[in-house]
Amino acid sequence: MPGHRTKGFCASAAALALCAVLAGCGGSGDTAAGGKVVLRYTWWGNPDRAARTEQAVALFEKQHPGVRVQTSFSGYDAYKQKLAIQATGGDAPDVMQLDYRQIDQYASGDVLLDLGKVKSALRTSEIDAGLLATGRVDGTLYAVPQGRGTETLVYDVATWKASGVPLPKQGWTWSEWADAMRALAKKTGKPGATDPGQSEDAFEVWLRGQGKSLYTKDGSLGFTASDLTRWWTFADRLRREGTVSRAEQTTQLDGTVENTPLGRGTASSDFNWDAPASGYLAIVKGGVALAPMPSGTDGTPGQYYKPSMFLGVAADTSHPKESAELVDFLLNDHRAAKILGATRGIPVNETIREQTASQLKDFDKTVADYQASLEGTLKDPPQAPPSGDNALQTTFARDYDQVSYERMSPREAAENYITEAKAELRS
Amino acid sequence: MTTTDIPASTARPPRSTSAPARRPKREREGAAWVFLSPWVLGAIVLTLLPMAVSLYLSFTDYDLFNAPHWVGLRNYTQMFTEDPRYWRSVTTTLTYVVIAVPLQLALALGVALALKNMRRGKGFYRSAFYAPSLLGASMSVALVWRAVFNDGGTVDNLLGSGGWINKPGWSLLAVALLTVWQFGAPMVIFLAGLQQIPAELYEAAAVDGAGKWRQFVSVTVPMLSPVLFFNLVLQTIQAFQVFTPAFAVSGGKGGPADSTLVYTLYLYDRGFVASHMGYASAMAWVLLIIIGVVTAVLFRTSRTWVFYASEGER
Amino acid sequence: MTATAPTAVPRKPVGRGRVAVHIGCLVALLVMLYPLAWLLATSLKPADEVIASLDLLPGHLEWSNYKTALDGVNDVSIWRLLGNSLLIAGGAVVGNVVSCSLAAYAFARLRFRLRGPLFAFMIATIMLPHHAVLIPQYIIFNKLGLVNTYWPLILPKFLATEAFFVFLIVQFMRGLPRELEEAARIDGCGPFRSFFQVILPLTRPALITTAIFTFIWTWNDFFTQLIYLFDPDKFTLTLALRSFVDASSQSAFGPMFAMSVIALLPIVLFFLAFQRFLVEGMASSGLKG
Repeated sequence: MPGHRTKGFCASAAALALCAVLAGCGGSGDTAAGGKVVLRYTWWGNPDRAARTEQAVALFEKQHPGVRVQTSFSGYDAYKQKLAIQATGGDAPDVMQLDYRQIDQYASGDVLLDLGKVKSALRTSEIDAGLLATGRVDGTLYAVPQGRGTETLVYDVATWKASGVPLPKQGWTWSEWADAMRALAKKTGKPGATDPGQSEDAFEVWLRGQGKSLYTKDGSLGFTASDLTRWWTFADRLRREGTVSRAEQTTQLDGTVENTPLGRGTASSDFNWDAPASGYLAIVKGGVALAPMPSGTDGTPGQYYKPSMFLGVAADTSHPKESAELVDFLLNDHRAAKILGATRGIPVNETIREQTASQLKDFDKTVADYQASLEGTLKDPPQAPPSGDNALQTTFARDYDQVSYERMSPREAAENYITEAKAELRS
Repeated sequence: MTTTDIPASTARPPRSTSAPARRPKREREGAAWVFLSPWVLGAIVLTLLPMAVSLYLSFTDYDLFNAPHWVGLRNYTQMFTEDPRYWRSVTTTLTYVVIAVPLQLALALGVALALKNMRRGKGFYRSAFYAPSLLGASMSVALVWRAVFNDGGTVDNLLGSGGWINKPGWSLLAVALLTVWQFGAPMVIFLAGLQQIPAELYEAAAVDGAGKWRQFVSVTVPMLSPVLFFNLVLQTIQAFQVFTPAFAVSGGKGGPADSTLVYTLYLYDRGFVASHMGYASAMAWVLLIIIGVVTAVLFRTSRTWVFYASEGER
Repeated sequence: MTATAPTAVPRKPVGRGRVAVHIGCLVALLVMLYPLAWLLATSLKPADEVIASLDLLPGHLEWSNYKTALDGVNDVSIWRLLGNSLLIAGGAVVGNVVSCSLAAYAFARLRFRLRGPLFAFMIATIMLPHHAVLIPQYIIFNKLGLVNTYWPLILPKFLATEAFFVFLIVQFMRGLPRELEEAARIDGCGPFRSFFQVILPLTRPALITTAIFTFIWTWNDFFTQLIYLFDPDKFTLTLALRSFVDASSQSAFGPMFAMSVIALLPIVLFFLAFQRFLVEGMASSGLKG
């Protein structure tokens, strides 16, 4: 009978509901565990970074018996969304990993603690002053860089060597790069590189090579429509002649190395940040090597050491001292450094960098050697970009799409971008 | 299966309009609120309140981190007069709705009808046709879809058309096909609706000499019309808000050349990437009005073609 | 079709027609299931083929993808992740079926003041893109102290916030003849008994549909799980499989695909277990013996 079935259904429904309730309650209880201070610490990364971080955190807990650290991580894109919502909802974790592009916004929104207040627990003396300055907003230190990276030309060693084209060398210029790509394309029958036109990062290196910058000190645009027109004309010509990848390939970029032309085997090189370039090892059969970015015609280097990530403390944390101690531990503790290796970029603490250099293995060592080869030649990094840059990075690629799909001339697109950028930075 | 005999047989004949004694009005009114109470609580706390907040935010400049400040209608005027990308997202979305909704509904209805009278393998087909919908728009589906529609991918190999996802003129179709591919939900709803049609109606029609087509027109269509209407309304609403397939196929960017930058993707971009939550909220409310008008029109027309057994003759 | 009409009282489809339907269905399936085959094949591809290769079949079978996936993520075992996913999806199913059918009954079969406007409001709630209410909702749950629990994922379902299902059940209930309750009322049933004993059993196809969709959609709902769950011990399969992909470092697409396949199994089983109840409507009394 129908009634019969309904009763059975209701009973099982009630049982399930009860389960859910119990589980929910059980879960929420552990944040105030046994009188200990509980810190929440979040970062982005992959399972490998997670495993090493867990190990380091366990060591920290051993040294600080009164503190328990609750950790959580997700992939980069997911992390950014989650942190923004947490911060907006007044629920920012005590210690959080931050990106260069987040600093300005989070600091001005009072999400981050002024680290000057916890100076005694957080040592910054062993960090290069120029690099440390990137964590300052209006003179106040809100975040400490944790690792540093720099841009690189990563290339398929076997293909490049087989082509007979001379290998890249330090101090080469953008036109030398273009010549090399052209030669590579001719020899290999496929584009030499990813079209750099869509990349705000590559544009910045090119711009700095001419002594300019993306943003001025007060956070407005540091270049003009003509600068951008020249850059896009340069890229546009290379793309049309087949020296760099076609629009159809470039549009597939989604931040992962697997979806770059080099990763797909349809180009021989790519611009990327040095540490993420390790991803190519598993997918490029001929092996990869790192070369410096091209510089300006007079040899001015455009690339710089960029903090690959920062650590910040929540302004409303109930445990500023313990949070600062955790940050200090992750940055300056020698045993922590040994566990973490270069999983967050080459360490910024100079003593630690020297000590760990010899212990690095595999691609970590490649990156460390690459950075060492540039030591002393690069200029100071720019200050953290204004918060509008978050949107402008995408706008940049979008506007270049109009060029690469030949719907606009470089000048039209550049003027469009300047208009949009000014509106973005004003608001 | 035999358990449902009794109510089914008490249900005939369906079209009389007799109305036996009713209970006192107040008692029934009270009962209604008891049934509604969970919904009312949820609607106020979890729906109305957030909606009110977002309406307020649409009149402010709000960057998520600093307190919102009132700007009146500026977000709206900016949207309508200064943002060409906004208008492109509107036309992209309309195109998408016009492609995806009819295709998906036709496919779902067609398969449901084909399966309706099938004697063997019904469960198998139903499951197999539903299988793509089990995946949602997860990252793995996104990657598979991009592989299939890429240069040198399956579609390119079969049709020699190049990869759709890389061509501004074709990419939206690849997005729409992802939605159409996952037609399992409306199909299952159609099947459930078909199951509810009393078999006696077909028998009676057959006795009256109605052929298959006649049975379809005079039994299936009217009896299925509430469910057909539901699918039409819901798929239209969801199509206007399409987000995940476009996000998945374009890797979150709405490319190439903004060709898959649908309304909510652009809204998301403004709100969460560019941190203009006020502007995004204004966009959300304009979309609500657009969808509201379309839905109201659908409801209005429903009076002429949707038949509810509970209301007897329409 | 029409030619056979007058004589064909017990409808018997012509054999050839039936074969044609089967062939049509099978061809359609071949096309539709191709991407799924791709997904399965990719879960066995070695790292250098996962994205770069556009061939269906892997060069060699890389079972280690599954081994990596089965090891879980961040010291949380795959069983824990599975259990968490099941708990959330199960709670959501119960919540939606109970609360949405209650509300639907009121809208479909009872008369009360404000019924029209409230129904319109309910439909309107699904017209606002959910991104616009994400933050206010988060703030509410945070104020209630429920962030990093399963409540934000389950509680809304018990409060019938998914108008999709309310509307769905309403449509099915409105399709039932009014005489059913009239008869029950004459027998002395109030609204509660006629709801439980008359209407609910007859709405079973809609309730099963609600259960199936809720389970699958909750299972796959990455974003809500992402923002409300903090503690990795509370993570779900859907969250875990995404953590294999990180644009800033090395991604593990192979294990991600393997975990997608693993995460698919429970929903496949759930669907298979429940889909057969879909046929148990009123029609089962007659033709479809």
